[in-house]
Amino acid sequence: MKMKRYVFPLSIVCMLMAGAGAPSPLSSAGLSREEIYQVGKLKPIDSVLKVKVGDVAPDFSLRSVDGKTVSLRDYRGKKNVMISFVPAAWTPVCSDQWPGYNLAREEFEAMDAVVIGISVDNVPTLYAWTKSMGGLWFPVLSDFWPHGKTADVYGVLRSDGTAERAIFIVDKTGVIRALDVHDINERPPLEWIMTELERLKD
Amino acid sequence: MCKIAALAFSLLFALVQPCFGATPDGTAVETVTLAVPADAAERLYLGIKATAGRFALSDIAGDILIVEIFSMYCPHCQRHAPKANELFAIIEADGKLKGRVKLIGIGVGNSAYEVGFFKKKYKIPFPLFDDTGSVLLGRLEGIRTPTFFAFKKTGGRFKAFFVEQGPHDDPRGFLDRVLMALPK
Repeated sequence: MKMKRYVFPLSIVCMLMAGAGAPSPLSSAGLSREEIYQVGKLKPIDSVLKVKVGDVAPDFSLRSVDGKTVSLRDYRGKKNVMISFVPAAWTPVCSDQWPGYNLAREEFEAMDAVVIGISVDNVPTLYAWTKSMGGLWFPVLSDFWPHGKTADVYGVLRSDGTAERAIFIVDKTGVIRALDVHDINERPPLEWIMTELERLKD
Repeated sequence: MCKIAALAFSLLFALVQPCFGATPDGTAVETVTLAVPADAAERLYLGIKATAGRFALSDIAGDILIVEIFSMYCPHCQRHAPKANELFAIIEADGKLKGRVKLIGIGVGNSAYEVGFFKKKYKIPFPLFDDTGSVLLGRLEGIRTPTFFAFKKTGGRFKAFFVEQGPHDDPRGFLDRVLMALPK
């Protein structure tokens, strides 16, 4: 039991003692710290939007991780949609974003809204990644091929082939009511999403 | 004898280092300031007299402080939430620990809304605090959640003496590990 203890200032000795036998540090994707690729600080935004609030959201049909093809038009007249583009699977901030929307399922449903997650990764990668999160209630779509086509149509494809960390809130008529191309290094706050969805009730 | 000890130390280092990398430094948490809870019962639990603004960790009553570093977005923290509630219940039900050991959570990189959302979702009975502006997250760069720190009050200030990374299934066992690590 003393292996758990560490006493400052003997920090090196203590690091070892604290570490031995303790559970492994985990990322949100269930990996140890050393297994997660650290992207470092990135250019906050590296694309130019091609749509704006008030536009009809461009339709897309993409394969989901469960093998189905999901189109934006499937939700027309039925549900509000929050489209969440994330830059890439298995990266620190992205791995810490969709699990939050997973927790907020009831709140999204109360707003008569669904989430659609989109990444430029291929289906097998997204399948493994979302499984590592414990599964998600909303569809996760692959914008892998033609690479990043949907992200490009919206104007959120970065110059390195990843997508922006961007959110588009689309109402039941298919119109973009709010959007946030967020600093890629940070998560969009949940309160902004909920506030914008709440406004759709008006 | 010294050579044997040095060899054993080197071996231990070689075995442990690849798994863990740097251990989070509790001193980064010692100097954090937190928003005064709006809830009077939480202020009473913490022994905080102020009703608004921010307070220092050292203002919290009790001899031992356990801090869970979590994130609303972290699925491990989500799954662990009932265990954290259990830990709080164990402490509060123990006459020798109640009042002496305090438990709080800090949602690193989380806004007040996100922390409130997590608290409501899992009916967390102990105080949770936000990290708006990611001030603490910046100090604990690379930290994975959940991570648990324990602090002992010495000379009016809390000093870190324990760290454990990752969720635990056995809150009582976790508490035992904290108490066994407590400096005499």
